[in-house]
Amino acid sequence: MFNKILIANRGEIAVRIIRACRELGLQTVAVYSEADRQSLHVRFADEAYLLGPAPARESYLRGDKIIEIALKCGAGAIHPGYGFLAERADFAQASQDAGLVFIGPKPSAIAAMGDKGVARATVSAAGVPVVPGTEGEGALSDEELLELAPQVGFPLLIKATAGGGGKGMREVSNLDEMPALLHSARREAEASFGDGNVYLEKLIEGARHIEIQLLADNFGNVIYLGERECSLQRRHQKLVEETPSPFVSDDDSLRQRMGEVAVRAAKAVGYVNAGTIEFLVDKEKHFFFLEMNTRLQVEHPVTEMVTGVDIVKEQIRIARGRQLRYTQDDIAMNGWALECRINAEDPYNDFLPSTGRIAHILLPTGPGVRIDTGVYPGFEISPYYDSLISKLIVWGETRAEAVLRMRRSLEEYKIVGVRTNIPFHQNLMDSTRFLGGQYDTRFVEERFSMNQPKKSDDSDAQIAAIFATLVAHRYNQLTTNVIQHSSRATSNWKWYNRWRRNHL
Amino acid sequence: MKYLTTIADKEYLIEIIDENRILLNSKEFVVDFDALSEQPVYSLLVDGKSFEAFVYPSDEFWNVLMRGQFYPVKVEDERERRLRLAGGSSVSPGTEFHLKAPMPGLVVDVVVVEGQEVEKGDVLLILESMKMQNELKSPRPGIVSRILVENGDNVEQHQTMISVV
Repeated sequence: MFNKILIANRGEIAVRIIRACRELGLQTVAVYSEADRQSLHVRFADEAYLLGPAPARESYLRGDKIIEIALKCGAGAIHPGYGFLAERADFAQASQDAGLVFIGPKPSAIAAMGDKGVARATVSAAGVPVVPGTEGEGALSDEELLELAPQVGFPLLIKATAGGGGKGMREVSNLDEMPALLHSARREAEASFGDGNVYLEKLIEGARHIEIQLLADNFGNVIYLGERECSLQRRHQKLVEETPSPFVSDDDSLRQRMGEVAVRAAKAVGYVNAGTIEFLVDKEKHFFFLEMNTRLQVEHPVTEMVTGVDIVKEQIRIARGRQLRYTQDDIAMNGWALECRINAEDPYNDFLPSTGRIAHILLPTGPGVRIDTGVYPGFEISPYYDSLISKLIVWGETRAEAVLRMRRSLEEYKIVGVRTNIPFHQNLMDSTRFLGGQYDTRFVEERFSMNQPKKSDDSDAQIAAIFATLVAHRYNQLTTNVIQHSSRATSNWKWYNRWRRNHL
Repeated sequence: MKYLTTIADKEYLIEIIDENRILLNSKEFVVDFDALSEQPVYSLLVDGKSFEAFVYPSDEFWNVLMRGQFYPVKVEDERERRLRLAGGSSVSPGTEFHLKAPMPGLVVDVVVVEGQEVEKGDVLLILESMKMQNELKSPRPGIVSRILVENGDNVEQHQTMISVV
C-alpha cells in the first residue's frame, strides 16, 4: 500500500490532485519543468524534482525520467492527471513494471480505448451504438479515404486516430475540399501526437456532446455519476460544462439508459478507476458512443459539486485496492453546477493565446463558488503549455441560480497581465439561447458573437467614455509631469514605470 | 481640459473641470475615480453609481472592458483634434501591413510566397503556440512584399513576420 504519490502533471490539475492527497494524509511529489519552478504545484507538494527544459517533450512527457524520480524518492504511485502521459498505455505499463501503482485503468484498457478504431469496434461488439464512420479499418491512405467518404456521407469529420482535444480534426462538407483538409489534418495530427493517421466519421447535425462520468473498482463494481453537458465548444475545445444537461434535464430514463450503456462500454474493456464515456446525442435523443477518456477530466468538478463525490480521492482509494464507497443507488444529483474554463486567450482577437506575467488577480468567492487554478499574481504564463489558467465552478439549487451566480462571479473575477476569455463567458451567460439551454456543439462558432447589443448599451458606453477620458487625462498629466520635473518627482516615476510595465 | 471622445461613431464632448467634476455634453456629473492596487483596473463613482473597468491602451485606442463589454475608445484633446482636422486623414489605406507575432511561438507553415496577391481574410501563416495551431490572416487585400521567417522558426512576441503592401 502506497503512502506517497508522484503527480506527473502541472498547472491546476496537479494542484487539484495534491489537495486530495493532503486531505487523505498522503505525501506528495511534484515534478516540474524549468518554466514551472515557481508553479503552485511545486510550492504545495512535499517534494519537488526538476524534469528538464520547458518543452513538454523534454519534461512532462519524459516518462522514463518520471519513473526514475518516483523510484528514487520512494513514491509508491503515480497520478498522471489529464493530458501529457495520462492516456499512454506504454507509460502505465512501464510504471507497473517498475513496481509503481498507476492511478488509472489497466494499460490494456487504455490501449483498447486509446485507438479510436479499436475502441469503436470493442464497444459496438458489446451492443453500444457508434457513429457511422471508417472505424476499425486501420491506417487508410488519402485515396482510400476519398473513396470511402461518400459512403460515410457528407458532412463528415476527419479525426486523428491518436487524437483528442480537437487536434487534427477537420470538417468536410464536400469531396472537392477534402484533399486539402486531409493534408492539414494529417499535418496537425503528426505535430500533436507524432501520428498522422486519420479516420472519417459522419457529422451529426444539431448534435449535443454529453458525457457520463464513471467510477470502477477492482471488484467489478462500476457506477455512473450522472452526465455532463459539454456542447459549448469552440474549435472542438470545450469552454463551458454543466450538469445536469439541460437537454437531459428531468428525463431520468434517458439518463439511466446512457449511464447503463456507458457502464457496459467500460466493462467491455475491464475498466478500472475513473473514466468518462463521451456520447453524441441527436435531436431525437438517440445517442452514439464517441470515445472514452481513460483518465480524470478537466470538467470533473461539476460532477463533484452535484453528487458530493470527490472523484480524485475516489481514484486514489480505488488504486489502493479499496472497494467503491458508493453503490449506484447512493448517487443522487443535487442542484446544478456550471464550469467556465478561463483561458489566456483574447476573445476580441480571434481567441489568440496571450502570454505574459500575471500582475494582479482578484478571485471571486462567496457562496457556491469554487476555483481550481495553478496560477497567482507574479506567475508567468508561458507559450509552452495549454492556455487554461483556471476553472471557475459554481453550484446553485437550480440552473437559474447557478447562471446568476456564474454571472456575478465572472464580474468579480479580475486577472491583469494577460488577456482572458472572461468577457466571452460573460456574453455567453447573457445570451438567450444559453439561458434557454438551447445550444448544440456548433452554437459558439455559428450563432454567437461577442458584444451583442444590450439594452443598457447606451448608458454603459457613456460610462466607458468617461473611463477612457479620465485614464487618458491622468496619463497625459503624468507623462507631462515626468518630463517637466523628473529630478524631484520620484513618485511619479514610480507610477509611470508601473504603468509602463502593465500597459506596454 | 476638453476632450473629444469617440466610441464607434458616437462622440462625447468631455470637459474635466477638477478632480471631482466633469461636463459630459454640457451636463455636469460628480465623479470619483481611482486606480485599484496600482493596476489598470479602475473604480469610478458617477453621481454615486459604482462602476469598475479594465482600461488599457492599444495603438490607437483606449480599450475599456466593462461588464463583459469591450469598447475601443478614441480620446483626443483639443490640440490633437485640430492637428487631425488640419492634416486630413492620417491613415491611408495604402500603408504597409506588418504581420507581427501576437505571441511567442513556432512558425509551422508560411502559406504565402513573396509577390503573391492576397485577399482580406486569406491565411498568411500558421503559428503554433500553447499547443494550438493558429491561422494568422491578412486584414486587407494586397501583395506579399516581404517574408522574414521560415517554417520551423521560433518567433518572439511582436516580431514582424510578413509584410503586405
